[in-house]
Amino acid sequence: MEDKLIRLAVNGRDEAVVIQPLATLQDVLRDKLELNAVKSGCGQGGCGSCSVLVDGELQLSCLTLAERVGDAEVTTLEGLNETNAIVPLQQAFIENYAAQCGYCTAGMVMAAKALLDRNPAPSRDEIVEGLSGNLCRCTGFAPIVRAVQQAAQALSDTGEEAS
Amino acid sequence: MPELLRPGSIDEAADLIARHGAAAAVLAGGTSLMRETYPSDGGYLIGVDRLGLDRVVARDGGWSVGAAVSLSVLREAVPIAALQAATREIGGPAVQNMATVGGNLFARAPFGDLAPALLALGAQLVFATADGETTQPIEDFYAGWADGAPPSTGLLTRIELDAPSGDCAYLKCARRRYSTPSVVTVAASVQKDGGTVTDARIALSGAHAQPTRCAAAEQAVIGSSLDEAAIAAAASATEGAVEPRTDAVASDWYRRRMTGVFVGRALAALA
Repeated sequence: MEDKLIRLAVNGRDEAVVIQPLATLQDVLRDKLELNAVKSGCGQGGCGSCSVLVDGELQLSCLTLAERVGDAEVTTLEGLNETNAIVPLQQAFIENYAAQCGYCTAGMVMAAKALLDRNPAPSRDEIVEGLSGNLCRCTGFAPIVRAVQQAAQALSDTGEEAS
Repeated sequence: MPELLRPGSIDEAADLIARHGAAAAVLAGGTSLMRETYPSDGGYLIGVDRLGLDRVVARDGGWSVGAAVSLSVLREAVPIAALQAATREIGGPAVQNMATVGGNLFARAPFGDLAPALLALGAQLVFATADGETTQPIEDFYAGWADGAPPSTGLLTRIELDAPSGDCAYLKCARRRYSTPSVVTVAASVQKDGGTVTDARIALSGAHAQPTRCAAAEQAVIGSSLDEAAIAAAASATEGAVEPRTDAVASDWYRRRMTGVFVGRALAALA
């Protein structure tokens, strides 16, 4: 089977990439577009470190065939802010020490963004459920949940969006 | 390396499945199949993303659910509490956005938590084959499984679901709260006339090689008022009827015990 040229809409840009057959979205984002916030964790859909938004919906790039993405808009952590500035959700992670090794963090932030975009004032239980597909092996989750609570509070104070 | 085929019509997809037989695997949300697909594999992946199977249509007295509808869309579109509970028990939010209703019905134990809910709700499955469309009750579909593997049925295109006339309860026994394989999953629905149960559908996954209804438990509650004695009898009958297996999640002994316990809890919720 031959390589294919596909087009992807990623972080507001139209990208043309040559992919190998059955390349995953994760492969393309990391290896072709150098968007390395997308982490390669379990490759099984079990850890959430490769989480991205596809048309605003949380999805796992490791289980997504790149050529099936079609016209959908893909957002990675790098696309949260056009100027690469820290967004309030990331600031809340920093202030709450919600990252240690950092490997899960980008996926956690994307899961938190997907949650807050749908539910700007989640309860603690709703935050836990919203992050339930993302594993952290350092922090014990409590600081991450606090960060999302703080971000939700900050958003309700300012009326801004999650990022 | 398997070749990805993306047919543009249901007829074309059914023909591809008939032509390639066991060499073909249907790729829907990918949350199971992508994990099991390796570059060294041969065969064909038949994508169903261009077939228009990703819609829920509300019809008179129920819903037609496309087989490629995601679990999160199902939860939004079909307001049956037991079914909504089931969708939240499968993976995390990202998996629920990707995994499909149809795909989950082919998942093997200890996955596939949607099946008991659809068994208890009396869903009908519609398949497209090279010879035309066939419809069968979901319990007949699972009765056709051998050694925990589905039969060759053609392409599952939709799930027909009538609005439930009685109450339905859904419970999953698992090691963690979220995003976890099941020890056992139980769904129960009952019809009552006055206080007396006139019909019951009690469904299990994790209790046999594939999801099933539990006739012994159903017989134990039909005609009763779902009193404590009847619920205890149903739980006991369940434990006597099941043939669970041992895996990394749970032993057969533990699964058998929990199947009885959770059937009892589900029925108590309906009493």
